[in-house]
Parts: sequence; C-alpha cells; structure tokens
Amino acid sequence: MLVRRPLFKKLLAGLLFLLGSLVSISAFGHTIEGSDASFVEAIDGPAIFPFMYLGAKHMVSGYDHLLFLVGVIFFLYRPKHVIQYVTLFAVGHSITLLLGVLADLQVNAYLIDAIIGLSIVYKAFENIDGFKYVVKFQPNTKIAVFVFGLFHGLGLATKLQEFDLSDNGLVTNIISFNIGVEIGQILALSFVFIVLSLWRTSRSYLRHSFATNTALMAGGFMLAGYQMSAYLLQSPF
Amino acid sequence: MAEEENAKPPSSKNILIASAIALIVAVMVLFTAILPAEFGRDPLGTGELLGLNALGLDENPFEEQLEVHRSDYVEFILEPFQSVEYKYLMDLDASMIFSWVADGELYYDMHAEPAGLGEEYAESYEQGEGNSRMGSFHAPFAGIHGWFWENRSLNTVVIELYSSGFYQTSTVFRDGGDYERPIIPITEY
Repeated sequence: MLVRRPLFKKLLAGLLFLLGSLVSISAFGHTIEGSDASFVEAIDGPAIFPFMYLGAKHMVSGYDHLLFLVGVIFFLYRPKHVIQYVTLFAVGHSITLLLGVLADLQVNAYLIDAIIGLSIVYKAFENIDGFKYVVKFQPNTKIAVFVFGLFHGLGLATKLQEFDLSDNGLVTNIISFNIGVEIGQILALSFVFIVLSLWRTSRSYLRHSFATNTALMAGGFMLAGYQMSAYLLQSPF
Repeated sequence: MAEEENAKPPSSKNILIASAIALIVAVMVLFTAILPAEFGRDPLGTGELLGLNALGLDENPFEEQLEVHRSDYVEFILEPFQSVEYKYLMDLDASMIFSWVADGELYYDMHAEPAGLGEEYAESYEQGEGNSRMGSFHAPFAGIHGWFWENRSLNTVVIELYSSGFYQTSTVFRDGGDYERPIIPITEY
C-alpha cells in the first residue's frame, strides 16, 4: 500500500532535491565558452571531430536539453518508446539546427532558451496529468516532442551563430556538430534511463513521480525566468 | 501517460497547487538568488545579505599595477644560423605591448617558462617565420616571457625589439650563456 503523505511534504522533498542539484550548477547560461569559443572562431575549413566533440559536450553539459529529456522519458518504460520519442526530438532539433545556421535565421538566443525552459514546464505539466484533468484536453504527445525539438534545434543554432563561422567547410562542420549532439544525447540518455530504471524498481518511484515532475516544472520556470532576465537586463554587447 | 500504473489519479486541485508552487519557487529563486548572482540586480536585498552580489560583477577592464612601467629597446645581430633568446621577468597578470622588426626572415617562437620550474614546463604561444610581429601579452603566470629567434638564412639579419610593459628585468640567452639586462622604469616614483 502506498503511504499517503501530505501533498506539501512530497512537493517539498522534490523541490529540495531539485534545488540541491541546481546549486551544483555554477552558471545557468549555457553557451560555448573559453578555449572552445576561440577554437570555433579560428577554424577555417572542415573539422569533423572537433565539432562532433563540441556538439556532444554541449548536449552532455546542457541541463536544459537534459531536463526536457528527463521529462520526456519519465513515463516511458520500454526502450522502444524511448527510441521513438527521442528520434522525434532528434529529427526536430536537427531540422532547425541545420536550417537555422545554413539559412542564417536570426532569432534571439535568450528568447529561444526561455522557450526551451517552458518546454520543460510543459512536459512536467503533462507528466502530472495537468492536461488530462485540468485542461481536459491532451495534445498529442509525439507532436509536442517534435515541435519542442524544433525549438531546441533553434537554440543549438543560436549557439553556433554567436561565432563568425567560416563558410569554408560550414556544412561539414554543422553536420559534425549535429552528429556530436546526437552522440552526446545518447550518452546522457543512457545514463538518465539507467538511473530512472533503477529507481522504477522501487515503490517510491510512483509515489515521488508527482513531486519529481513538480520539481522539474520549477526548474523549467527557473530556466525560463533566467533567460527572460538575460533578455531584458543584459547589455547587448 | 501514467494512467496504467497510477492507481490514484491526482485531483485537478492538487495539480494546480503543484504547478503554482513550482512557479512561486522558481520566481522566488529568480529574485532572491539568480538576479543578484547573475545580473547584478538585487531587488529584495538578498544578494547583499547572502553575499551573492559579488558573483554578478563584470570583469573590470582596468587592472591595477603597483609599479611604474618600463620601456625597452634592444637590437641583436644574428649571423647565419645564430639564434638568441630574450625574455622578460613578469609577474602573474602583468602586461606588455611589443613590436619587433627584422631586415630578413627569422624563425620565431614566443614562449614562457614559469618561475622556478625551468624549461620542461615552458609554454609556447606562437611559432613561425617572418620579418616582424606586433602584439600584446598578458602573463598567464609568473616567470620569464619572451622570444626565441633563429636566423635560418645565409644572410646576416638585424632585429629590433621595442616594448613597454610591467616587467622587471630581461635576460639574454646567447651562445650558451646568459646575462641579465636591467631596465629602468620610465619615471621615478
């Protein structure tokens, strides 16, 4: 029998867990920095493996993308379904990553990152059955993951567009970056899936799933708030 | 999605409460911690209270130095296949600007050795061949910082180096020996 605990206690536990994990993240702004940045600018010509590495690194260290994926696979129990949803997500972000950089779409990185934060909120709200019981209309979950994939891809594109990328080898480099993103995503997802699977064997999983997703939602709001603050407050240079 | 396993579906009231709490917590963290630490804004005074404001400060382009800077001019004559090494003693975060010009092509290697650690810890910043290089340099560690030039041609090459910076002395390494050149500050202090 599940132990019924008061709602606020569950929420508190979940939120503390999330806050604890956020404290360890020193910088919220998730961009390509330091020596990686100077490398990207200096490059002229195809550099397959460096860009693959940067893509993978961006994904593995990209808690915005990762939190969203945690939300996506939270209630997916079978690897087949995980692959389905993650493929939709990957196809979505690949389209906009490639198009965004190649067609030089100018979108504001902060606003896109704020939407990425809200995608986490959306997924968490879906996971606590908000659409089913509150909105009483459940949008197609696969389409939602695909559409948010498009936004995540635009976010990835803005990270590359911050640099004066050389046209020489551009297509090769973006595709390499994209492949790296997928590799990083598989690595990170395997880890998340293993941890979730282990947790699922314990009864606490369902008991805490409501609180965990509420915490996830708070994390999404925080990321969105952080990015909106950056959009409104930060000087343009 | 959770319907099969979740015996007790959450009530829509609980879902709304949970969502509201998520939003409130996020807004609270945003205003009490993120704004002071990341953007230097402290609407509630919590940045001051928790000491978070220091995190939000931009890096100041001004960097104070404690000594008057020095200016240096040096000239070397390199016969075919001769080489010379010329390095400044600089503290961590000391800067200098320099231009060197030669009347023939030289191989150059701009590099540094950390104080007291010797050649095996040397770090090279750029190597190449040419008649001149102009640049600025910001010492990443305390030690000796400078150039190795080698004349790989069959002609005699004269090289002139002009620099100004917060270095203390310079050392010439040549013909298997080395000697120090004191450089006086540009003004008394």
